[in-house]
Amino acid sequence: MRLLASLALQNLGRRKARSLLLIAAVAVASGVVFTGATLMRSIDQSMAVGFTRLGADMMVVPDGALTNITAALLTVEPTDLVLDQDLFTNAKLAAVGRAAPQKIARVEHSGIGSHHESADLIGFDPALDFTVRPWLVEKLNRDMRPGDVILGAAREAPLGSELLIFGKPHIVYGRLGRTGVGTHERGAFMSFGTLDALAPSVHGHGGGPPAALQKGKVSGFLVELAPGATPLQARFSILSTLKGVKVVTGDSTMSGIRQGLSALLDGIMALMVLMFASTALMVSVLFSAIVTERRGELGLLKAIGARRGQVVGMMVTEAVIATGAGGALGVVLGILVMRLYERSLVYWLENVGVPFLWLDTPRMIAVAAGAIVLASTIGALGALYPAWRASRRDPYDLVRGEG
Amino acid sequence: MLSCRGLRKDYVTERGEVAAVAGIDLDVAAGRYTAIIGRSGSGKSSLMAMIGGLSRPSQGQVTVDGTDIWGLCENDLAAFRNRRIGFVFQFASLLPTLRLVDNVALPAMLHRDRARSAIYSRAASLLAQMGLGDHLDAYPSEVSAGEQRRAVIARALINEPALILADEPTSDLDEQTEIEIMDELLAVNRERGTTLILVTHNLALAGQAERIVHIAHGVIVA
Repeated sequence: MRLLASLALQNLGRRKARSLLLIAAVAVASGVVFTGATLMRSIDQSMAVGFTRLGADMMVVPDGALTNITAALLTVEPTDLVLDQDLFTNAKLAAVGRAAPQKIARVEHSGIGSHHESADLIGFDPALDFTVRPWLVEKLNRDMRPGDVILGAAREAPLGSELLIFGKPHIVYGRLGRTGVGTHERGAFMSFGTLDALAPSVHGHGGGPPAALQKGKVSGFLVELAPGATPLQARFSILSTLKGVKVVTGDSTMSGIRQGLSALLDGIMALMVLMFASTALMVSVLFSAIVTERRGELGLLKAIGARRGQVVGMMVTEAVIATGAGGALGVVLGILVMRLYERSLVYWLENVGVPFLWLDTPRMIAVAAGAIVLASTIGALGALYPAWRASRRDPYDLVRGEG
Repeated sequence: MLSCRGLRKDYVTERGEVAAVAGIDLDVAAGRYTAIIGRSGSGKSSLMAMIGGLSRPSQGQVTVDGTDIWGLCENDLAAFRNRRIGFVFQFASLLPTLRLVDNVALPAMLHRDRARSAIYSRAASLLAQMGLGDHLDAYPSEVSAGEQRRAVIARALINEPALILADEPTSDLDEQTEIEIMDELLAVNRERGTTLILVTHNLALAGQAERIVHIAHGVIVA
C-alpha cells in the first residue's frame, strides 16, 4: 500500500502542471459545493426563522370570534369562545403542515405594567410553536421551564429577573423583538402549564377564569400550510373537516414566497449535484488520457508481477490523492469566500434586521468533511473505470501501446 | 524447463485475422542459452510474450518447470511472472519517477516475502555487480542508455528467476555497449545457471547461443 501510494505521489509530481490543474478544477467544484451547501443550509435555516417571523399562513378560531386581521399572524386574539386543544391532532389534515395552539387572556391588575394597564397573557405549546420563539432576541442560556415568561418588546424587565404575576413569582426567560403587532408587543408569553397555574387568579367577565384558561381549551390555532398546499385547499380542508371554526387568512403572498424559495433552494442544490457529476466525468476523461499515456508503464508493472488490483489501486490512489487535495483546497477557498460573504452581505442583512443564521460548527465541519470525501470519491470513481480497463489487458498489449 | 506445444497467436486486423505465431512446438532445457532469430514481423516477440506469460495464446500450451502457466488464474500468473521469470525488454523499461535502486527493488516489493531492508540490500548488491554501485540514487534520466539496460538486468535478477527472457535488449545501443550488456547476460546464464532466451535479429549475438531457433512467418524453420 505504501509502495502504491508512493508511486501514485511520484506520478502526480511528474506532471506538476497537469496535477495542479486537476487539483484546481476539483478545488473549484468542491469549493462551490462546500460554500453552496453551507450557505444553502444557512439560508434555509435563516428562512425558517425569517418566514416564521412573518407569521402563520392562516389562523383558525372559533366561529363567531371577532378577529383583528393583520398581515402578520403572530398570535390569536382574546375572545370568550374556545376550541378543543387537540382539534388538529385528531383531524390530521394533509394541507396543514403545522398548527400551533394558543390561549390568550387579556387581564388587568396582574402586576405586569402599570396598575390599570391591561396585559395579554398568552399560553403556547413550546413543542408546536412557530410564531413566538423565532422572535426571541435575547433569552437565558437554558431551555424554557415552568414558571418562565417571555415578554413582548414593549415590556421591560431584565432577563432572569423575577416578575410577579397575580402575586406569583415568574422568571423572565426571554424578550421578543419589535413586531409592530400590538398583542405581540404587550404580551407575556408562557407555556400552557404556567398559564394554567395562573388560571385561579384570573377573573373573566363572569367572575370565574376566562374560558380560554380551561384545561384542554384554546383560543385558536396558528396554521402553517403543508409544502405544496395552497391556502384555498387548506381552508376548504379545515372548514369541511372541523366544525364551529372560522379561518382567517393572512397574506397569502408570503406562503407562495416561502414555498417558492424552498423549491428554488432545492433546485440550486440539484444544480450543484450536476456540477459535481460533470467534474466526475472530467476526472474520468482525464484519467482515461493518463492511462492511455502510461500504458507502457502499466504493462511493465504487470509484466514484472503487479496484480490487477495493484495496478487499479495505484491509479485510483493517484486520483484520490489529487482530488482529495483539491477537495481540501476547495474547503479552504470556501471558508475564505464565506468570510467575505459574512463581512459584506450578511453584515448588511443583519443591519437591516434580517436574521442570518450560520450552520453551527459541528455541522459545518461535517459539510467540509463531506465535500472532501465526495471529491475523493469522485476521483476514485473517475479513475476506476479506465484503470480497470487497462488492468484487464495483457501486459504485452500495454507494453506495445495497444489497449 | 520450458515446453511449448501447438502455440498459436492470431491478431484481428482490418484485413482479417493474421497469425503472428502459427503453431510452434519448442522445448528448452534448464540453464541453456537459446537465441530466437527471425526478421521483423516473423513472430518471435509474440512467441516470447506467450512464453513469458505476457500475452495469452490463441491456442496451445506453455509449461515452465511443469506449470501450465496459461492455466493459472490472473493473480497466480502475475506471481509466477514475478518470481520465476525475469524480463529484459527492447526499450528502456525503467519507471522514470523511481531511483535505480527502487526500480530494481520493485518486483520484490510487489510480492513482498522479505523485509524491505533485505530487498533493498539485494537491489544495491545487484546494481554494484552491474557496475552501478555509485548510481543507486540516480534516476533513469540521469544515467546512460547502457547503464539503464544494466539496471534492467539487475531488476530481472532481483527475485532469482529460473528463466530470463530478453527481447532485443541491445537494439538501441551502440556496438561497445551491446557487447557489455550481452556479456552481463551471458554471465548470468553461465554463473547462475539461469535459463536465457534471447530474441534478436542480430546473427552475431545469436552466434554465442547454445541453440538457435529460426522463425519465419510464425513457424520454426530451423
